[in-house]
Amino acid sequence: MTQTSLLRQDARTVRRNRAEKRFRAYGLVAIGLGMLMLVILLTTIISRGTGAFQQTYLSLEVTLDAAVLDPTGSGDVAQISKVSTFGYKPLLADAFAQLSARGVVQSQLDPDDMADILSPGAEARMRNAVLADPALIGRSVQFDFLTSGRVDGYLKERVTRASIVNDSNINAEQLDLVDELRAAGVLDKRFNIAFITGSDSSDARPEAAGFGVSMVGSLSMMLVVLVLALPIGVAASIYLEEFAPKNWITDVIEVNISNLAAVPSIVFGILGLAVFINYMHLPNSAPLVGGLVLTLMTLPTIIISTRASLKAVPPSIRDAALGVGASKMQSVFHHVLPLAAPGILTGTIIGLAQALGETAPLLLIGMVGFIASNGPDSINEALLSPNSAMPAQIYEWAKRADPAFYERAWGGIIILLVFLISMNAVAVLLRRRFERRW
Amino acid sequence: MRDTIHSPEAPVALKSKISAQNVQVYYADNHAIKDVNVEIEDKTVTAFIGPSGCGKSTFLRCINRMNDTIDICRVQGLITIDGENIYDPKVDPVQLRAKVGMVFQKPNPFPKSIYDNVAYGPRIHGLARNKAELDEIVERALRRGAIWDEVKDRLQAPGTGLSGGQQQRLCIARAVATEPEVLLMDEPCSALDPIATAQVEELIDELRQNYSVVIVTHSMQQAARVSQRTAFFHLGHLVEYGDTDKIFTTPEDPRTEAYITGRIG
Repeated sequence: MTQTSLLRQDARTVRRNRAEKRFRAYGLVAIGLGMLMLVILLTTIISRGTGAFQQTYLSLEVTLDAAVLDPTGSGDVAQISKVSTFGYKPLLADAFAQLSARGVVQSQLDPDDMADILSPGAEARMRNAVLADPALIGRSVQFDFLTSGRVDGYLKERVTRASIVNDSNINAEQLDLVDELRAAGVLDKRFNIAFITGSDSSDARPEAAGFGVSMVGSLSMMLVVLVLALPIGVAASIYLEEFAPKNWITDVIEVNISNLAAVPSIVFGILGLAVFINYMHLPNSAPLVGGLVLTLMTLPTIIISTRASLKAVPPSIRDAALGVGASKMQSVFHHVLPLAAPGILTGTIIGLAQALGETAPLLLIGMVGFIASNGPDSINEALLSPNSAMPAQIYEWAKRADPAFYERAWGGIIILLVFLISMNAVAVLLRRRFERRW
Repeated sequence: MRDTIHSPEAPVALKSKISAQNVQVYYADNHAIKDVNVEIEDKTVTAFIGPSGCGKSTFLRCINRMNDTIDICRVQGLITIDGENIYDPKVDPVQLRAKVGMVFQKPNPFPKSIYDNVAYGPRIHGLARNKAELDEIVERALRRGAIWDEVKDRLQAPGTGLSGGQQQRLCIARAVATEPEVLLMDEPCSALDPIATAQVEELIDELRQNYSVVIVTHSMQQAARVSQRTAFFHLGHLVEYGDTDKIFTTPEDPRTEAYITGRIG
């Protein structure tokens, strides 16, 4: 050391400071990349998914001709229901013919071809309305019909005149008609609550597919998971952490719980298939089975987080309780458990959120697939009748050919993310609210 | 019975409350307490002193069987309270701990209100039949803990919000609320500042009127100030036990003398 002035940094200090600056820069770059990915992810999801929440409707006045719908004139629902949806088809063509006659549209298309811009479910929509209220027969009624997926795509700029050249489902004249109807103000996009509440639909009717029933499926599974995994997990953790003797058996159990947490979820799926469906003969595709499988998956997460929060309670609290003559159980239930509760709840919610987004095990128990049933009427039915789940529904839509389903898959992702983010927010809030310091 | 009534010169002052004979404690293979024999008197403050790791806390924790909570700990020998073997299989350690209260090194109030801290023991032991009785027990305990005047207006405030010295006196109040007969204190002042220490020491002196107090301390001055009897532990042995005055002025064992003059420990 030749020079000793503090005003000049020696070579070693300069090097050290540079290394520190470099390290900070790496950190900033890493965080920046992470944020960039998040922004890209969110903008992609939102820009692609919001379309699913809007649907194109056509307001059309239809004359419910009594001669077609109720030839006997009895007004009896049993008689009326003999007319199938096919019988309603002429009414639609009629309605379009009237539009032409009144000069609302100039299109030279055959009225039957005009009616093809509507969803194939339009006749069923009318029939349901008539069966619900036979008094409508013989009157002119204003219906809001879903348009076909192609027309919807045209309004959302997914379908263009260039892209339909080889498309047998729609032609340029029909798009001209759509433009005319739109100019007349009877055809437009609006918010589509049916996407959030409705059930899945067949390949031919992407416009009618909804996410609601699969949401019910997911929520039924979460109910099963919560009812089973929380008490079992918490009881197991309390026993292991507070009461079990520390010997090689408990060591083995502990290691195995940690290992279970790392087992791929598809393994739990095939276990569920073998045990719950093939051996116990529980119904296929039922949320009860899905819930049981997800319970197996969630249990290790809950046990690990519960044990961690029990461990975090200072031993002095246990000593204090034992010191005034509380029994072991009293000290656990009166003092340790309340202090660990926020951590337990947080762990449980995180575990549930994980289970909510799980798809792989559902593949094996048949919860991934086209399930078009309506929403269940009772909790019993919700648990036992075949259903899908949110991530499974997204997967199902994403693999279908029609791009209209692809849009709905993104829409489903938005709903799923809303669920996950709100669950995590609840977990954070609980932790903040009940955190105690000592 | 008639005999005892007729003997007025019964040695009441020397009556032993806690008696230990040939006590051995092992942590796994480590022999932590070796051949301890001691008679602890009622209505007396007995101090355990000795260098770190000498076993004084371990021995203290044998007296209310807190060592039961440590899996690897084994206790041999005989410890009796009022002539009853506390390690008898028929003895429930929970009942024992209600009779032998304990105050710990670090103040450890429950993260609950001051009132609930004190009321917890009486509640789980069913000492109060109604709210009024419980209020009375809590007030009496807090008065005995010499903290009533400071907290009487904020009984519902959290116990963890008190200062360190107040927390420790709250813990003492909590310990006396179950009406114990023996009070064990494991370095009760080591986490406290001098003023709080003085308050707690004064309190210990008052507690002597009702309880047999056993205190473990690192501070020889504290042992000299608060105790009537002192036991010196060294490497797991009880080296010397006698009147505090005598231990500090004319110790018999050279190791005791070395410790109190600061040459070992």
